[in-house]
Amino acid sequence: MNEAAIRIAKLRKKFLLSHSGAGSLKTLFLWWQRRNFEWLEVLKGIDLEVRKGETVAVIGRNGAGKSTLLSLIARVYRPTSGEVAVEGRIAPLLELGAGFHPDLTGIENVLFNGVILGLTRREMRERLDAIIEFSELHKHIDAPVRTFSSGMLARLGFAVAVHVDADVLLVDEVLAVGDLEFERKCYARIAEFRAGGGSILFVSHDLESVRRVADRCVWLKSGLIEADGEPEEVTRRYAAAASVPTEGL
Amino acid sequence: MLAELKELWRFRELLFSMVERELRIRYKNSFLGFFWSLLNPLFTVLVLTVVFKNFIGVTTPNLSAYILAAYLPFLFFQMAVLDSSQSILANVQLIKKIYFPREILPLAQVAANFVHLLLALLVFFVYLAVIYFRDPTIPTIQATSLYLPIILVINLALAVGLGLIVSALNAFYEDVKHIMTVLMYLLFFLCPIMYFSENVMAHSAARNDGGMLYVLYHLNPVAMLCTAYRKVLVAPQPVQLGDTTLPALPLEWGLLGVTAVVSAVALVLGYAVFNRLKWRFVERP
Repeated sequence: MNEAAIRIAKLRKKFLLSHSGAGSLKTLFLWWQRRNFEWLEVLKGIDLEVRKGETVAVIGRNGAGKSTLLSLIARVYRPTSGEVAVEGRIAPLLELGAGFHPDLTGIENVLFNGVILGLTRREMRERLDAIIEFSELHKHIDAPVRTFSSGMLARLGFAVAVHVDADVLLVDEVLAVGDLEFERKCYARIAEFRAGGGSILFVSHDLESVRRVADRCVWLKSGLIEADGEPEEVTRRYAAAASVPTEGL
Repeated sequence: MLAELKELWRFRELLFSMVERELRIRYKNSFLGFFWSLLNPLFTVLVLTVVFKNFIGVTTPNLSAYILAAYLPFLFFQMAVLDSSQSILANVQLIKKIYFPREILPLAQVAANFVHLLLALLVFFVYLAVIYFRDPTIPTIQATSLYLPIILVINLALAVGLGLIVSALNAFYEDVKHIMTVLMYLLFFLCPIMYFSENVMAHSAARNDGGMLYVLYHLNPVAMLCTAYRKVLVAPQPVQLGDTTLPALPLEWGLLGVTAVVSAVALVLGYAVFNRLKWRFVERP
């Protein structure tokens, strides 16, 4: 259980910022306006290791680089420098059915989503029943997902993500949708996933759930790791620094 | 590039799924489904045939088959490139969230249109057969149709190459899409669809340039492909131009070879350009 699932070394990420916006040839021809661009370094050298079966929470203020870190692990961005190595299959929990096509039915979208996550169509068809069962959307699964409510989309998205045999789950504050009962089911499933050796990296502003779920908490501050350790301790320091009460938010 | 190809192969299931999804979405909400995609070329050819037979006085028998033989592939090329150009921007929300080889997006567009072309060609052969049964004196399906796969492969390579470049550039400069729309419209007139390559040769001969214009004209790979499709799919026949009869020309394999090389270069270059730009799609300033 002590093997690393995610290994991050000296990770840096810079973005090119524009104040005018690109998107037309005009910006190419008006090259002298390039000074309107500036670099923004979002991550300034992160070293982090997540072991198999470990659940790590990432907290920090807006713009601290939490989502960028998750995107780099999901291979959506390429690091400016440094390394990200992930052992096994990653399943990013997509917010509200990103990747679902509104005109396709629930089933068609489930199959497609699974294939994006790296399964074959056959493997997905074998899992279809379990996914529908978990999402509790039997009645709607043959309807186009444009008719789904946001709660139903979240259920379906979650159901797919936990059925693709991922080794690493990336969660960017999406568990807050769905009713209480479904949320309980999600937590139960996550516990099962962890018991099976799966790792979770999740971003949250809900310090209460961080303390409840995470084994470890990482506090990101302006692109650097400010603290890394016991959730209880790190969230307390974070809350003190942000001078918000530990209870509530 | 080899590593990129390996990665693409690993995700081949996704490419198939994406093509399937594309085809489904396109016809999901329409009753006639696939036949809508045939109605466009059929009506175009119907109008062109009526205009040419009656207003311009072209006497070529079975003119509609000759127009179709060149127009179906042209339509494939046009739609493949234009659909590709939108593919990255249309899926930006998806690629911001999840990793997969980005080239799958334009490839799926080209592939979906290629499936259309194959189905349309199938209908085209049925059409030829029907014409033959009604009037056996009209030459019908040619043995040279066996060359079709070669031409299709060249055409596909060219469409993929251009589709990759256009999709990548359009992610940064949306003007590309508009430029391509105009270029494709103009390209239609620069390809032997409404007229014959024999007409081009006649003009070349009238200029006494030793066929130079004819060769230059066919250095345009799309024009060469249209000519090639027409030569192998329907029987080459003399073209009537006023009082003179222009002899039917054979397919110039040398010129097709040039097009094959151009297409291969476009494919490699397109993939190289795409790979250079693909990581920046999600972080456009």
